[in-house]
Amino acid sequence: MVKVMVYPPTSMILSDLVERTGHEALVVSKEVRKKVNTPSLESPPLNITPEDPKKGLKYAAVDVPSGVRGRMALLGPMIEEADAAIIILNDRCTLGCTGCARTNELTRFLLRTKRIPILELEYPADEPGARRFVHEIREFLEGLS
Amino acid sequence: MIRIAQLSCGPEYSGVQQELEKAAQMVGAELVFPEVSLDDVRNVEERFGIEVASGDLNLAMARATRIVENPDLADAVFVATCFRCAEGAIVRSELRKYVHENSRIPVLSYSFTERTTAETLLTRMEALVTTAKFKGLLSRERQKGLTAGIDSGSTTTKSVVMRDNQVIGTGWVPTTEVLKSAEAAYNAALESAGVTRSEIEGLGTTGYGRHLVGKEFGARLIQEEITVNSKGAVFLADAQKGAATVIDIGGMDNKAISVQDGIPGTFTMGGICAGASGRFLELTARRLGVDITELGKLALKGDHEKVSMNSYCIVFGTQSLVNSLSAGSSPEDVAMAACHSVAEQVFEQQLQEVEVKEPVIMVGGTALIEGLPRAMEQLLGLKVMVPEYAQYIGCVGASLLVSGLLED
Amino acid sequence: MKVTKYVITGQDSDVLPSDIALKIYELGREINIKETCFGVIIDGEEEDIKATVEEIRAMDQSNIFIKDRGFPPGDPRRCRGHRGGGARPGFYMMQYESELLPLISRGLASEARGEEAPPEAASRKRPGSEELEEMIEEEFS
Repeated sequence: MVKVMVYPPTSMILSDLVERTGHEALVVSKEVRKKVNTPSLESPPLNITPEDPKKGLKYAAVDVPSGVRGRMALLGPMIEEADAAIIILNDRCTLGCTGCARTNELTRFLLRTKRIPILELEYPADEPGARRFVHEIREFLEGLS
Repeated sequence: MIRIAQLSCGPEYSGVQQELEKAAQMVGAELVFPEVSLDDVRNVEERFGIEVASGDLNLAMARATRIVENPDLADAVFVATCFRCAEGAIVRSELRKYVHENSRIPVLSYSFTERTTAETLLTRMEALVTTAKFKGLLSRERQKGLTAGIDSGSTTTKSVVMRDNQVIGTGWVPTTEVLKSAEAAYNAALESAGVTRSEIEGLGTTGYGRHLVGKEFGARLIQEEITVNSKGAVFLADAQKGAATVIDIGGMDNKAISVQDGIPGTFTMGGICAGASGRFLELTARRLGVDITELGKLALKGDHEKVSMNSYCIVFGTQSLVNSLSAGSSPEDVAMAACHSVAEQVFEQQLQEVEVKEPVIMVGGTALIEGLPRAMEQLLGLKVMVPEYAQYIGCVGASLLVSGLLED
Repeated sequence: MKVTKYVITGQDSDVLPSDIALKIYELGREINIKETCFGVIIDGEEEDIKATVEEIRAMDQSNIFIKDRGFPPGDPRRCRGHRGGGARPGFYMMQYESELLPLISRGLASEARGEEAPPEAASRKRPGSEELEEMIEEEFS
């Protein structure tokens, strides 16, 4: 079983396809869960505190906006754990944890420079495209074990 | 409960959402996120005019279009993006303009860092809620009866007594211990007006120490400086009809307020940056060996272009000051350069965020330093007016507004 | 640790959210179920949820999709009712991807049948500058 990070890290489609094949999908909701279930953090809505942008300094310098560094505090550990990744190139309606374009660019960059197996593709626009989409992903995931 | 619609990108991820909520709560408001559909977000380019790369900014713009279509969704709007994000700053500025031009909803714009606290936002939130809540009170144009105002500022405490729309007494002391200074200033104003405390029908307080002083003196009105200073300014400048822009450079901070028909609208407030306030001018006067009241006249004789000075940060500003004097620059040129530098900071930081419309009224104690309004005129290319009692605008505004409560 | 998952039924599925709820009751594990218009939200201990999710998917392999959720169901920090009407940001992404689910379902069904994926259509070549010049002259003559 391999840890596969999906981009966007909020993607239902990608995480579902990954888990069907028996691998573990790294999705940001898992990081959010850890946060929101720690009552002592007391920083609604996500329990991200001002400490998190500081943790994000590991990935981005102090003059990078706090929202980027705070999001990277969630995404960074996922990127570090990833043994493989699937990246959607034409992502849209990315909001919330994926609502910052700079964070998203940094995420894709860090994954690509990690030298792990990566599959990059686009959301399908029609049925033949969808069949290729599912097939490519399945082949990629099966090739990982 | 005043509903402030939050249009933002990033506060939840910077760990400051709670601070925003706290600030809203402290002023009797709540932050809301009015409904917007996926299609609104997808079509934001058509609806608002642009789609940017960051989804949360698109969501904010889409939400703004909804609010403008249905003004019942919110009583005020708060636009907030991360400090240092260019995309965020551009969208924030456009959002503020959009809401202001397409609705009557007051809007506040702010760029936060992970260090932003509720206290930093409090004055701004208070002003926003006041504009939303008290349109009736704010439209008062004439002072009635015998009222007084105390402005408990960071550097000086001022007081006025007014009767039948005229200032009849003033008091001014440096702020040391807040309550003692307020007592001294108030007494001075009462004495110069020739009235006793018991005759005063209503007292209004403002400034940093407004809550402490207001409670101690039983004030009927405790109001932040953005509202009262802008009211006082347009009252004193007789500019209560039509547009006006108020620039208030204080001892420790600065504000720029757009006023329309006597009611404050968009405003910005500079952070505690000493280089863009009277603090830098005080320092300059000390270094030049002149009293602060003489600095202005000295500056008028000087040419700022002969001295390179940038008070973007007071530390570096002080360095330039010292260097120019050692290099043989004249005190007049240095004085004018210091005035120019402070005016420039305010011009670059605050005056880009509000629509500058004539008449431009400069107020606050610093407006009396003649070099400063002159420097501002040069930068804006517009005539700058400094009304009589310019340093008393806060207490005049408070005195004016509290007289509105007496009619109840 | 307790985990929460969305179970989303595709449009072409014959399985209703109530069928899923019933199945979960039958399995007898300690799992909370909340029915929604697009499926169900389930939460419970990680191992219970993991096991249950496989069984649910088996009800209609190509048309049931599972998504992880960070917040427990009905959490006021993200609840529409506490936010002044607007959905939490993650909702829009789910809505967006839900529109693609019918296509994905067909892709999955096709894979399950062992069919080969159709080749990609040859991409249309962009006209070169000479071709473009000819077109412009034709149009404006």
